[in-house]
Amino acid sequence: MTIFLQATAEGLALGAVYSLVAIGFVLIYKAMDVLSFAQPALAVVGAGIISAFAIDRGLPFWLSMIVGVFFTGILSLIIERTFLRPMVGEPVFSVAILTIGIDILLRTVLDNWIGLNPRYLGDPFPNFGNFGSLTINGVTLKYLEITAFFTAILVIILLSIFFKKSKYGVAMRATSFDQEAALAQGIDVGKIFGLVWFIAGILASLAGFFITGGFNTLTQFSFISALRALPAVVIGGLDSIPGAVIGSLIIGLTQGYVAYYQLSIESVIGFSLGSGFSLLAPYLIMFAILLVKPDGLFGTEEVERV
Amino acid sequence: MRGRPNLFVDYKKESAILSNNTQKFWFTLMIIFSLGLVFVASDYWILLLTTAFLIAVAAWGLNIVSGFAGQISLAHGVFVGIGTYTSAVLGGVATSYVVGFELDMIIWLPLSGIFSALVGLMVAPVAVRLKGLNLGLVTLALVFIGSHLFSNFKTFTGGAGLGRKTAKVVLLGFNFENGLNIGSYFLEKNQLLYILALIVCILCGLGVKNLTRSRTGRAFSAIRDRDIAAEAIGINLFKFKSSAFALSSFYAGIAGSLLFTVSGGVEPGQFNLLYSITFVAIVIIGGVGTVLGPLFGALFFSLLPGTIQTVLHSLENFGQGLSLSTGQIERVIFGLFIIIFLIFEPRGLWGIWFRLRNYFKAWPFSY
Repeated sequence: MTIFLQATAEGLALGAVYSLVAIGFVLIYKAMDVLSFAQPALAVVGAGIISAFAIDRGLPFWLSMIVGVFFTGILSLIIERTFLRPMVGEPVFSVAILTIGIDILLRTVLDNWIGLNPRYLGDPFPNFGNFGSLTINGVTLKYLEITAFFTAILVIILLSIFFKKSKYGVAMRATSFDQEAALAQGIDVGKIFGLVWFIAGILASLAGFFITGGFNTLTQFSFISALRALPAVVIGGLDSIPGAVIGSLIIGLTQGYVAYYQLSIESVIGFSLGSGFSLLAPYLIMFAILLVKPDGLFGTEEVERV
Repeated sequence: MRGRPNLFVDYKKESAILSNNTQKFWFTLMIIFSLGLVFVASDYWILLLTTAFLIAVAAWGLNIVSGFAGQISLAHGVFVGIGTYTSAVLGGVATSYVVGFELDMIIWLPLSGIFSALVGLMVAPVAVRLKGLNLGLVTLALVFIGSHLFSNFKTFTGGAGLGRKTAKVVLLGFNFENGLNIGSYFLEKNQLLYILALIVCILCGLGVKNLTRSRTGRAFSAIRDRDIAAEAIGINLFKFKSSAFALSSFYAGIAGSLLFTVSGGVEPGQFNLLYSITFVAIVIIGGVGTVLGPLFGALFFSLLPGTIQTVLHSLENFGQGLSLSTGQIERVIFGLFIIIFLIFEPRGLWGIWFRLRNYFKAWPFSY
C-alpha cells in the first residue's frame, strides 16, 4: 500500500508538471493551429536562465526565478514574431517542422552552455530546503513535488479566471474560435498570438524549473522529460485544456506506477520489458488511445469535406 | 523533329524517364563525373559522398510516403535502423554477445529492405486510420518504441552504449576489405563502397522516377491531394497507403543496411528522435514531392560537415572566437536552414534549381 501511495504521489506531481507544458501546447494550438515542438526546448531554456542567474551569477533565487520565467516568455514572444508570423495560414505540418527547427537551434546553444556536468538551479528556501522531503506514513514527498502540484493547480485556476473574466482572455477565446471573425470584431489577432506565446513560454519555464529543480538537475537530456507532455496533450485532445490536464495526469500516473511495478508486471507476463520502460509507457498509451479515438479523449472531431 | 525537344508524338515518349536528349546527356555526364571522382577526391570527401548517396536513398523513401502519398512519418530513422540491424545480424560476425551469420551481401541487402518493408506494412494500418498531424504524432511514438527495442534486444544490437559491428561487405565471394586492382590503380574499401553506394543510389533514384509515372504513383498523388476524393474515384486507400509505407521502409532498409558499413560499427543510441527528424528536414530542404529534391537535400546535409571544416580552416581566427564546436555549428546551420527554407522557399533546393533552370532556358528574355 505504501508503494502504491508513493507511486500515486509521484505520478500526480509529474502529471502536474506535464500539465504546465501541456496547457502551453494547447493554448498555442487553439489560437494558431500550430503544434509547437519548441515547447520542451523553451522549458529547458527557462531552467537554464534560472540556473545561470542563481548559481553562476549568485543572484537571489527568487529574483532569478522571476527573471528566468519572464525572459523565457519574452523569448517565446520573439520566436512567434520572427519565425511563426510569416507562416500564418501554411499547412499545420510545415509549421510543426519549423518549430522543430527552432527546437534544434535553442537546444544546440543551450547544450553548449550546459556542457557535460549537470547544473543545479538553486534553493528557494535555504533554511527549509528545496532539496528536502517530507515523510507521511512512509510515503516520501519531496518539497519540490508538493510545490509543483500546488503551483499547477494555482496556474490552472488563474488561467481559467483569466479566460472567463479578463478582456484579453475573452479575446483569446474568440480568436481560437474564429480568427477572421475575431479580427472583424476589432480584436488585434496578432497581439493575441503574441500573448498566447508569452503565456506558453511562462508555463514552459515554470515546468522547466520543476523538471530540473532540486536533485533532478539540468542536463542535455532534460528536454526529453518535457517532451513527454506531448503524449499528454495528444491523449487529451489537441484543442482541449481540461483534456491536457487529464492527459498529463494519466501520463504522470502511468509513469509513476510503471516505475514502481515494472518488476511485478514482468513476473506476471513472463518477459523483460527492458530498462527505462516507464519512460516509454506514455508513448505506448498515446499510441493505443489514438488508434481508438483519433482526436484524443476530449478533442473535437474534425469534420472533413471533399 | 530536330530542335523541338518539347514536341512529343506519343505518350510513351513523353512519360519516358529521361524524356529528351538534354536530360540524357546530363544524366550520363553526372554518372561519369561521379565515377571519375573516385580517382580524384580525397578519402574524407569520398566518405562524405558515400554517406550522401545512401542518405539520399533513405530520403527518397521518406519522400515516397510523405511527399508523394502525403502520409507524415516521423519514424523514418527507425526503419533505417531496422535495415541496419537486419544486415548486421545476417552479414555480421558473431561474437560472445551478439549473433551474426556472415552471409553474402547478395542475400542481406535485399533481405534488409524486405524485412524493413514488412515492419512498414505492420505500421500501415495505423496510417489508414489516422491522418495528418495525428499520424505524425503516432509515428513519433514509434521512434521511442523503436529506440527502446534497439537498446534492449542486446543479442541483435549489442545494447545501448556498446553497439556492434555492421555487416561484412562481401559481394559474391569478393571481400571489399581486400580492395581491387583496376589496371595500375588500386581501389580501397572506401572507394569500392562509394561505387556501390553510387550504383544503389542510381537504381533507387530511377525507381522513384519510375514510380511517379506509374499507376501507383498517380494513386499516391491523388491520396496526398485529397484522400476522401481519391477514395471516391475508386482508389483503395488501404492498399495504397500500405504500399506507400512498405515502399518507403524498403528504401530506408536498403539505405540503412549499407549506411553504417562505412564506419563499420553501429550503436542503438544513434536512432534517436533527431535522427528521424533529420530525414524530414532533408526532404524539406531538398524539396518535398520531387525526385531530385531528396538527392539535393542529402548532398547538402552530408557535405555540410566537410564544408564547415573547410571554411573554419580557412578562417582560423574566426573559428577560435566561436565557442561552438564544429558539430554544433553544423546543427545550428541545419536548424536555421529548416526554418529559412520553410519560410522563404517551401519547394526547397529543388525550387531554387527549378527557377534557375527556367531563367536560363529563356535567357536573355525574362519569359
